[in-house]
Amino acid sequence: MTSTANPTLPSSSFIDAKTLMNIRNLELRARVVVEGFWNGIHRSPYHGFSAEFTEYRQYTPDDDPRYLDWKVFARSDRFFIKKFEDETNLRCYLLADQSRSMSYGSLGYTKAEYASTLAATLAYFLYLQGDAIGLLTFDEQIREYLPARHRTGHLRNLMLALEKPAAGQATDVGAPLKQIVEIVRKRGLMVLISDFLAPLERLEQNLSALAACGHEVLVIQVLDPAELSFDFKDPAMFQDAESGRVLFIDPGSARREYLRKMEAHCAGLRASCQKLGVAWQALATNRPLEMALFDFLRERMQQRSKGQRFARPRHTQAKASA
Amino acid sequence: MSFLAPLFLLGSLAVGLPVVFHLIRRTTRERKIFSSLMFLLASPPRLTQRNRLEHLLLLLLRCLAIFCLAFGFARPFLNEPTALPAAADGKRILLLVDDSASMRRANLWPDARAKVDSILRKTSPADQVALFTFDRGVKPLFTFEQWAATPVADRAPLLARKLADTSPGWGSTQLANALIEAAERLAESGGKAPIDKGRIELITDLQEGSYLEQLQGYEWPKGVEVSIEVLKPRGTGNASIELVSSNEDSETNSAATVRVRVSNSLGEKREQFKIGWARSEKRDFVGKPMDVYVPAGRSRVLALSAAPAESPDRVLLQGDDEEFDNLVFAIPPETLRLSVVYVGADSETDSKQPLYFLRRAFQETRHQSVRVNSHHSGDMLPAQEVEVSRLFVISAPLSVESTAALRDQAMAGKTVLVVPSTAEMQQTLGGLLHSDGLKLEEVRPNNYAMLGEIDFRHPIFAPFADPRFSDFTKIHFWKYFRLNPRGPTEARILARFDSGDPSLLEVPTGKGRILILTSGWQPECSQLALSSKFVPLLYSILDSSGVPAPLPAQYRVGDVVPLAEFAAGAASPIMVRLSDATQFTLGLDETNFSRTDTPGIYTVSTKDSKKQFVVNLDPAESRTAPLPLDELERLSVPVLNTTEVRLQDAERKTRVQSNELENRQKLWRWFIIGTLAVLLFETWLAGWSARRALEPINLSPG
Repeated sequence: MTSTANPTLPSSSFIDAKTLMNIRNLELRARVVVEGFWNGIHRSPYHGFSAEFTEYRQYTPDDDPRYLDWKVFARSDRFFIKKFEDETNLRCYLLADQSRSMSYGSLGYTKAEYASTLAATLAYFLYLQGDAIGLLTFDEQIREYLPARHRTGHLRNLMLALEKPAAGQATDVGAPLKQIVEIVRKRGLMVLISDFLAPLERLEQNLSALAACGHEVLVIQVLDPAELSFDFKDPAMFQDAESGRVLFIDPGSARREYLRKMEAHCAGLRASCQKLGVAWQALATNRPLEMALFDFLRERMQQRSKGQRFARPRHTQAKASA
Repeated sequence: MSFLAPLFLLGSLAVGLPVVFHLIRRTTRERKIFSSLMFLLASPPRLTQRNRLEHLLLLLLRCLAIFCLAFGFARPFLNEPTALPAAADGKRILLLVDDSASMRRANLWPDARAKVDSILRKTSPADQVALFTFDRGVKPLFTFEQWAATPVADRAPLLARKLADTSPGWGSTQLANALIEAAERLAESGGKAPIDKGRIELITDLQEGSYLEQLQGYEWPKGVEVSIEVLKPRGTGNASIELVSSNEDSETNSAATVRVRVSNSLGEKREQFKIGWARSEKRDFVGKPMDVYVPAGRSRVLALSAAPAESPDRVLLQGDDEEFDNLVFAIPPETLRLSVVYVGADSETDSKQPLYFLRRAFQETRHQSVRVNSHHSGDMLPAQEVEVSRLFVISAPLSVESTAALRDQAMAGKTVLVVPSTAEMQQTLGGLLHSDGLKLEEVRPNNYAMLGEIDFRHPIFAPFADPRFSDFTKIHFWKYFRLNPRGPTEARILARFDSGDPSLLEVPTGKGRILILTSGWQPECSQLALSSKFVPLLYSILDSSGVPAPLPAQYRVGDVVPLAEFAAGAASPIMVRLSDATQFTLGLDETNFSRTDTPGIYTVSTKDSKKQFVVNLDPAESRTAPLPLDELERLSVPVLNTTEVRLQDAERKTRVQSNELENRQKLWRWFIIGTLAVLLFETWLAGWSARRALEPINLSPG
């Protein structure tokens, strides 16, 4: 369920998540992660992307003769149209859950802090790539919304929005998803960061609406290690962070049932994602953020190398037909 | 302290609940915030590992609240000595104990004595008690006067001893008689007290066969109450036998045949009985008994025929528990032998002559055998016959000697019936009546004559007095004799023809009489012999001629046996001997025997004659099913109540008193107030201790 550490990238070489969280400034945290990440992987972070050749196509009348590959014509005496893929800048929306359930953390920092750092990291990373980044924080309703932009000061605003403490009571993924579908008309990448500790019935419906709009969707489920193992020792009165409900729980007797339900819940979420062609990734909050960033990129790369798309065929534009 | 609704005290068992709750109290105070409890279910509460109860004061308060609530609902009250009305004047109690035959059943008499003892124990020295027993009549054993005359300490023992000396007899239960007499005794003796004259304590088995008819229409005296102690027999049912009087005509000769009714009461479980003849006091059958099947509540009549050679005199029933009514005495009835002398000129076989009809009129029955001795008018009547006969019928002229002899018989008390067949009989008639100028004149009416006037008050015609039988107009007379002059002066005309001539005259002669029937009954003279009136008329004449009525052979216990006719003319005193050799001698002036207290065969004897009769138990006594008490109430007897009702009454009284006490004291209010107070204190204490437990632990230094 949890992402295991990549054997090629020993986690010891990354900054410990706990140490990272001690950095007060979110932007600084993001920068530390991203730059550290690049130091390990990229030769040049400023390489950029250009128009890429994709395929040849036989010339048909009404095609623009400008795109004829004369060299091929010279060699083979046949007309071919050379097609290029026009890589536009990515429009990425980070959807961060800030409900009360995200305020739980057993490692000294909360899931919300971890999720914010993750979102900030991704935002910083993408900002550096020149992509436009938008943000939407939500609990049972939408709290903050920043449209996808790439301009000076936007990253700063984004960091400030992410730093706002979690205030909501419940988790309702449905409402923000519905709203983002209405707001964001242009296709982009939607990164949904939440613990998804809510009933799944409507989630699938809303995710499918999001995917139907042509967005790439990446679901990142952030969970605390204590939620995954439920390794409490003594019986105690457990209070629900969202509803305030108090139950007497004896972990010894309740653990097995809890783990079974939790696993079923995660499996249900994963199955929904797979059905909709949505990438899903689970992250424990003790996982180094570089690894999380690496997982993110690897996921995207893998998807692209396989020729698969996240949600819909990637926005391609044949220059010949333009 | 007592409780009006003690069942509510069971509610205090709920005190276990707080104890259990205190034991299963969750011992953790730790509270953890967790992201979501959606995958968690509350763990079932567990009994605390430690055996030590916590918050003892709270627990005690909670228990106390439950106790207070339960006590409040149980409506407690403090018993106070209630001022019961002091027994003012003594009561007058008449103990009326049934000693009828049905009380002979196994446990009833000891029970009755025990009841009397228990009533005596409850009496106060001021009370007045009398003891009467009853079956057919009421027997005072210990009167109010005797009670008053006896020293206080000896009264009850003496009364109990009097009862112990008696035992149930064989009489029937004349309950109505007994109640009326007892009530009147109480009413008379308690004259001063207008309201409470006394109480009759009736101790009886109150069987269905009790006689209550006399209570109908009896006005019960005011102030006399009846309290009934019904004795319950151990057995459930009873089977009995009873002699059924047999049809006289059909059983002419088989004297030993007896019809018996076997009845089985409703409650009896047994249905198979044995019945047969017995002879001695030993309850063994003589000969082979008959098996008889009688279901409960049914009865069956059987003919017990062919008495064995040992000439048994009683019928025995075996097979049920109650033996007192399983024996009836049965002796064959005695046949009365009478003789009638007929003097006439006709032959016996001539169906046109009077003798032919006379002989056929007197048929022999089981109880009576009439022999008609006919003689020719010229014959001399045998002296022995004349002596035995009570009735002489003359239809032919007699010799002067015979006439004088017959007159002597009439003078001695016998009856001479003269039926003239010819006018020559006027001399004989004149001789009999001592009337010289008497003439007989034959009359042949134009058409026919009828009986126009009959004296139904006379014993001869009295049986026909009923309008159903008084029509003699269908009898036509073709020929009769007119007496000239119209009979002697002392003659009484019993019937006249429509012409006014006498038809039947009675002339008293000495102790006897001479009857003159002026027309013959043979078809030549009239239709009398062919009419339905003929035989009854002849028997009527025979009966009125001084024939002793047969002594009934069957009596019930307590019946008075008339012996007047038996004793008539007997010079010696009458001896009555019972089968068990008990002997009574009646005085010369006594004509009735009333000491038929025991069932058995009684032999009455004088110097020259001997007779037997049997006394059996009243069949009503065998109907032992209990009589509903309503029956007495319906007859307006003021029945107080039975023991059970009295107990219920006492309970009800106690309940009412308790209710009153409780209503006055209203202790329940204090318990409810106490409950509320305890609950308030408990709430405050629980809140205080909870607040104290929730106070955060300040870890910061200073």
